[in-house]
Amino acid sequence: MRVTIGLLGAALAACALGGCESRDGNGFVQIKTVPASIVTQPAFYLDSQKLDPLKKGEAVLSRRVGTTKLQVEAPGGNMFPLCEIVVKKNRITTVTVSIIERPPRCQCTHSAAGAQPNRTCIG
Amino acid sequence: MIASVPGLRDVGRALGVALIAAVLAVPAARAQSGPSGDADAFAPVEEYARKVEEFTKNAPNLQKKIEEGTKAIDAQADAAKARGELEQLRGVVADLLGRVSDNGELSRLGAKALDNARNKLKALEADTRFKPEERQLLVDQWRELIRQTARAAEDLDKARAEFAELVRTLQTREDFIDELLQIKRAAEAIKVMRQLTSDLRDASEKLKTLIGGIRPPGA
Repeated sequence: MRVTIGLLGAALAACALGGCESRDGNGFVQIKTVPASIVTQPAFYLDSQKLDPLKKGEAVLSRRVGTTKLQVEAPGGNMFPLCEIVVKKNRITTVTVSIIERPPRCQCTHSAAGAQPNRTCIG
Repeated sequence: MIASVPGLRDVGRALGVALIAAVLAVPAARAQSGPSGDADAFAPVEEYARKVEEFTKNAPNLQKKIEEGTKAIDAQADAAKARGELEQLRGVVADLLGRVSDNGELSRLGAKALDNARNKLKALEADTRFKPEERQLLVDQWRELIRQTARAAEDLDKARAEFAELVRTLQTREDFIDELLQIKRAAEAIKVMRQLTSDLRDASEKLKTLIGGIRPPGA
């Protein structure tokens, strides 16, 4: 019984971390940083999942459909929320993060209607 | 409309070339390294090459589907049907983008293959079992394998950018068609309202005539 619960928990954790196929499907998040040439980029998080360092200042990540929070690790290890990203099935939502600013700032290619500009990015 | 499609062919070709080179380099490396457990170091590279090959085989299908879909869309006057075609195409491209995305299977395998190959190279450089010329031969083979694996990863990076752009193009075209459909629906709503207004006027005229025709008794 304990083993079954453990396996189920591991499967759920793997699913959450890996962004596995959900009933509603997957979409994509494209994160671009400007300037791309900065050597030490801040650590980015999508919700609580830490992202690998961005190659050439850019990443395209598969993500479950829904709303995800883009965060950056602030000094002291605290999370600083940058913006929310709406992921739709088979669509790509692009967000450019200006990392030259303190704190970094999101620039949405398209912002959600009714929301503050660059607070909620949609695809 | 889908200007970036020809680029996929180049990416597929580049991937194929990289794969062939990697596959050709592999048996030599394996033969030189012998049966002393080096297969474990090679396994991730082999798996990565296999997956890249699978992916490359899918790319021409995608291109054919996109070309067919584009023709179908061009031939269609029905915006709703065209939208359906675009949505279907987007699903196909999204499937491939999912495989080459930064958190996709191929990227993970590529990173693992490169890590293993680099570790193997490091270990070989410090290995004193072999004669210097033998060791150099093995080191050269692993360096070549690393170079080819890195090149395959770079080609996948290009494919990722290409597919991401395609998805964006397709979704923008869909959005445009959606806007057109909304205008069409609004125009239809106005037409219905005009018809209603006209019907009301007719009814009003008839009512006026009816009222005008009513005479009090004895008039």
